[in-house]
Amino acid sequence: MKPLAKAVPEGVQPAQPHSTLGVEIPQVTARAKVLGRAMYAGDIKVAGMLHGKVLRSPYPHARIVSIDTSAARALPGVKAVLTGDDAPAQLWGVHHKERAVLAKGVVRYCGEEVAAVAALTEEIARDALDLIQVEYEELPAILSIDESMDGEAPTVHPGRENNVGHEIRFERGDVDAAFASAHLVHEATYQTHSQYPGYMEPMATVAALDPDGRLVLWTSTQAVNLVRMQVAATLGLPVSRVRVIQATTGGGFGGKIVEDDNQLVAGLLALKTKRPVRLVNNRLEDFQACCASVPERITLRLGMDREGLIVAKEVRILAECGAYAGLAGDVMHVSAMRSDNMHRNGNVRSHATLYYTNNPPRGAFRGFGGTQMLFALNSHIHVMAGKLGLDPVEVHRRNVLPAGEVSVHGWQIGSNGLVECIEQATEAIGWAAKRSAPKAAGVKRRGVGMAAAMHVSGNRTIGNWDGSTVVVKINEDGRVNVISGECDMGQGASTMLSQIVAHELGLPLADVHVVPPDTDVAPVAVGTLASRVTMSGGNAAIVAGRKARDELFALAALRWEVEPSALSIGGGAVFVTDRPEQRATLAELARQAVWRHGGGGIQVSGTWDPKTVMHDDQLYGNIAPAYSYAAQAVEVEVDCETGRVTVLDSYVADDCGKALNPIAVHGQSNGAAAQAIGWALYEQLHYENGRLANGNFADYTLPTADALPELRGGLVESNDPNGPYGAKGASETAILPGAPAIANAVEDAVGVRITELPITPEKVLAALRARKEEGAAHA
Amino acid sequence: MSTHRIECTVNGEAHSVEVPARRLLADFLRDDLHLTGTKRGCETGICGACSVLLDGEVVKSCLMLAVQVNGRELTTIEGLAEGDELHPLQKNFMQCGGLQCGYCTPGFIMASCDLLKNNPRPSCDEVRHGLSGNLCRCTGYTQIVESVLHAAEEMNHGD
Amino acid sequence: MREFDWLEPASVEEASRMLADLGDEVRVIAGGTALMLGMRQRMLAPTHLISVAKIERLRGIGFDAAQGLRIGALARHSDVARSPLVQQHAPVLASMAARVANPQVRNQGTIGGNLCYADPSTDPPGCLMALDAQVVLGSVRGERVLSIEEFLVDYYVTALEPDEIVLEIRVPPLAAGTEGVYSRFLRTAAEHRPLASVALVARREGALCREARIAVGASTPIPTRLRCAETFLEGRSVTPEVAAEVADIVAQDITPVEDLRGSADFRRDMVRAVARRTVAELFGLSIDQGVPA
Repeated sequence: MKPLAKAVPEGVQPAQPHSTLGVEIPQVTARAKVLGRAMYAGDIKVAGMLHGKVLRSPYPHARIVSIDTSAARALPGVKAVLTGDDAPAQLWGVHHKERAVLAKGVVRYCGEEVAAVAALTEEIARDALDLIQVEYEELPAILSIDESMDGEAPTVHPGRENNVGHEIRFERGDVDAAFASAHLVHEATYQTHSQYPGYMEPMATVAALDPDGRLVLWTSTQAVNLVRMQVAATLGLPVSRVRVIQATTGGGFGGKIVEDDNQLVAGLLALKTKRPVRLVNNRLEDFQACCASVPERITLRLGMDREGLIVAKEVRILAECGAYAGLAGDVMHVSAMRSDNMHRNGNVRSHATLYYTNNPPRGAFRGFGGTQMLFALNSHIHVMAGKLGLDPVEVHRRNVLPAGEVSVHGWQIGSNGLVECIEQATEAIGWAAKRSAPKAAGVKRRGVGMAAAMHVSGNRTIGNWDGSTVVVKINEDGRVNVISGECDMGQGASTMLSQIVAHELGLPLADVHVVPPDTDVAPVAVGTLASRVTMSGGNAAIVAGRKARDELFALAALRWEVEPSALSIGGGAVFVTDRPEQRATLAELARQAVWRHGGGGIQVSGTWDPKTVMHDDQLYGNIAPAYSYAAQAVEVEVDCETGRVTVLDSYVADDCGKALNPIAVHGQSNGAAAQAIGWALYEQLHYENGRLANGNFADYTLPTADALPELRGGLVESNDPNGPYGAKGASETAILPGAPAIANAVEDAVGVRITELPITPEKVLAALRARKEEGAAHA
Repeated sequence: MSTHRIECTVNGEAHSVEVPARRLLADFLRDDLHLTGTKRGCETGICGACSVLLDGEVVKSCLMLAVQVNGRELTTIEGLAEGDELHPLQKNFMQCGGLQCGYCTPGFIMASCDLLKNNPRPSCDEVRHGLSGNLCRCTGYTQIVESVLHAAEEMNHGD
Repeated sequence: MREFDWLEPASVEEASRMLADLGDEVRVIAGGTALMLGMRQRMLAPTHLISVAKIERLRGIGFDAAQGLRIGALARHSDVARSPLVQQHAPVLASMAARVANPQVRNQGTIGGNLCYADPSTDPPGCLMALDAQVVLGSVRGERVLSIEEFLVDYYVTALEPDEIVLEIRVPPLAAGTEGVYSRFLRTAAEHRPLASVALVARREGALCREARIAVGASTPIPTRLRCAETFLEGRSVTPEVAAEVADIVAQDITPVEDLRGSADFRRDMVRAVARRTVAELFGLSIDQGVPA
């Protein structure tokens, strides 16, 4: 059992007795949670609150012929029954505004919101759903990419010819010439499937009108401002008449940004009933409402020289967004080009198309398109390394684009710990010895595999702003409030902000309180996505913290008639550097600030926006302030009789720039690795004629504690020049290498290559059988 | 539909409440007694976020009716700390990174109570099997296991 | 969940009379784990729930030399797993009970409730079948005893009369030299319900199998006794090849179900693998030998 380490790193200046930077500390939100006091949206009770329920379409594609809500409305305790006729004409969506809050005339996926009820109790609302009579006329449904691509196919959305939601094409260098000169060219097609985010807290919102008639939403979210914008625009309210407060959020993983209808329906019910309305998904509903990740069919062609250097890359991606596009186009964009930036290769061609179908909408999930492409790329590199007689580790190393260089797409690599990550992970797993060891002859065979990955810490393409503003308010007792719109969904953003402000002001962590994001008071914020919060929020917190410190110094300078440059801060006080006994606590200075002529409280705002650019129309440009890296090595055991694949050991090395809280970074690496193993081996959504057949936790199996090994990991600190104290994002990168590392390990173990996820027992057995038959045929 | 008077002790406090027969124990705790630390996370009895101790043994409160606990003793997450003094499990979950979003945490802590009561010195594997009725999506379980083992060590030294 | 009335009879007779009087939409509830899931999803909507929790006749675990183990219907899986009597007289039953579902369900679900619900994807029925267990049923008309095979009629269907409840489960004493292995197979480590189970109870002398009882569960609508395979085994010296042959017979002899969790062929292949390994385990053989080509 690993003992807890406590070490204050050197080189953190000025020396701060209270500083927790780099120290293993509990999350600042943890105490309330272990006491059972943390309030999630579903825990909130407002006087007079009604309970909402949503009626969902049982068909993947149908015309709504008629809806009779009279029996539902007559049920005692029912206060509202809304249909598409009551929903705003304004459609919603991320890039394409193509979705109605409640379906208008047509449903495009099984699970689409058709009607909404608000009643005195949840049971009455549930009973009312059964009383709503909907007459549907079923229409032909498009349930696969192939059907969607068919020229004769009906369109999912009127006016969207070819059912294309987004298309990307670009080319750099001389791809054809590079392939022609390559020593080895290999092409293969990979299929990745949709993963349900599976946060433990189902989507939940309480919506109410305040006494001034403004709409207030307490909600489970990663992005209070994006929700506010969407709710205001869709429900026809000025943005300032909508207030969004983040309730303690029980996980998000990308599934709680802005692709969920929950806040819109809750808001609509509150506006119509003029009463508070609680709309909480049960798990069955959440499986239908939440956007699962984007499935992609990836045909990859790579050319390598004799030493394994990639000289040419061509990829064709067919992705599916389901009935509504949401963020799926952005996800596909990442698949189409992000991984190119890991390598030196300058000859790349990419063509990616996003197709609509009548399957449920697909969208953002941790990894955001990187998981899909890196499954293909890492599998491919392993295969080609084998053909060249090279160790895949060597091939990866050779291709790494190091720090100080600019990538094929104009990304400026400020820091890069990937080589160290690869070395750390493969060493930890016992790579060399295990690869060269003779394979056992029994029914259970072991193998090792590895993979490498790159991700962003921030992303300007969201809307030409990737910055953050943090407000620091010093209370008259010397304790500090930190106010921002960046959301903690469990990953530790509030702790990170607290640590930074506490460090800058020389305070113990307990004296800093991060106010839950509230759009009424928080500065506008993009929110928690693209692994951006440590980078942008953290840097903004430094700016704000130093501004507050400067105001404190100005007050102390007045008090003692010295220059601000003669002062230091630490131990909860400001003091004269050369005469530390001349000191005043932050409380004393905060009071001094107020009670004087021209006084006022100390409240400062610090903004930080990275010096990045939007990419041009050829997708070129340095879009993020830093790039993060990770590598993973796994050992698996394949049971040749049952097809079961067991991960015996896994090691993720994560280049997080600087670990501000090592426990938190390890936690993110472990959680990400678990999700990757789930995606690779345990999780699969099954549909029957467009209807989700296993939308519950008994049939859709997330990894349990006894289905995973002790996940191991390490940190690499590449000290990014742009990151706060050198730190980068460290949450998504770690999910990227898992599935290909497992696929590569399976090949090492039993010599079969699975290119279609998930790696199921049936596929392993079929592949083993096919290989045996092939062997017999050649005998 | 019948209603019944439930007399039970929850976290050491006696309660007497009239409930309809169909009231789930989880909803009785959350809505009638306003103890919202116990969570609802799924509809198929798998996630374990609703776990509580019934007469000292861990059960899933979403799989029980309130009428089934008449005359019995319950402990929820709110009943573990002694005033401001955290239970060793609560303390170690905090210190070892055993929680992130915290939604599964009350359930895990209650299940861990039961585990350690029956097996005060569990191995890693025994901890994992003992917690197989609880799902976590954030932590990947490694730090949960560490939390339980650290708590066990602390609780055993108290003997 | 729909509304219903909750009743708590204090005796078998009272429960039986209630069942007779209250019509078709009535369910008996013990621990309630399975019932709650069905009722919450509105797949079951009984008008009355009759709780047997107060009926003392259903409690307790005992042993006598004639009838063997007597396990009250209200014994929870954790009670069965921890009972010194069960561990002593039918250790395979305790081993199975310790692995049912998950810790919380083991603390709440009962062996009687499990048999009555007759969910094909659970552990107890197959194991009890291999132990030649019997079910004692009670009503106002008295008691009667059925074998497990007579009791389990189809998936979710038992031989209970409308006014009967299960009182206890009996496991006859095992002859000296009898060992048992219960194997519960999950398709992947993350699954919650077994895809296949094999229960083997055998009396052996070294490698020689004198007597065998084999039941396959979870992959068929009700557990299946494999008498062909038993006959093949009895009197044979068990080698890895014999284990593989037995497994083949077992696999041919079952009619596996087909559903979202696995095709019939896949279940058959898994039953074959698990049966081979179960025999190997009981007879102390390596699973790496005798693997079918």
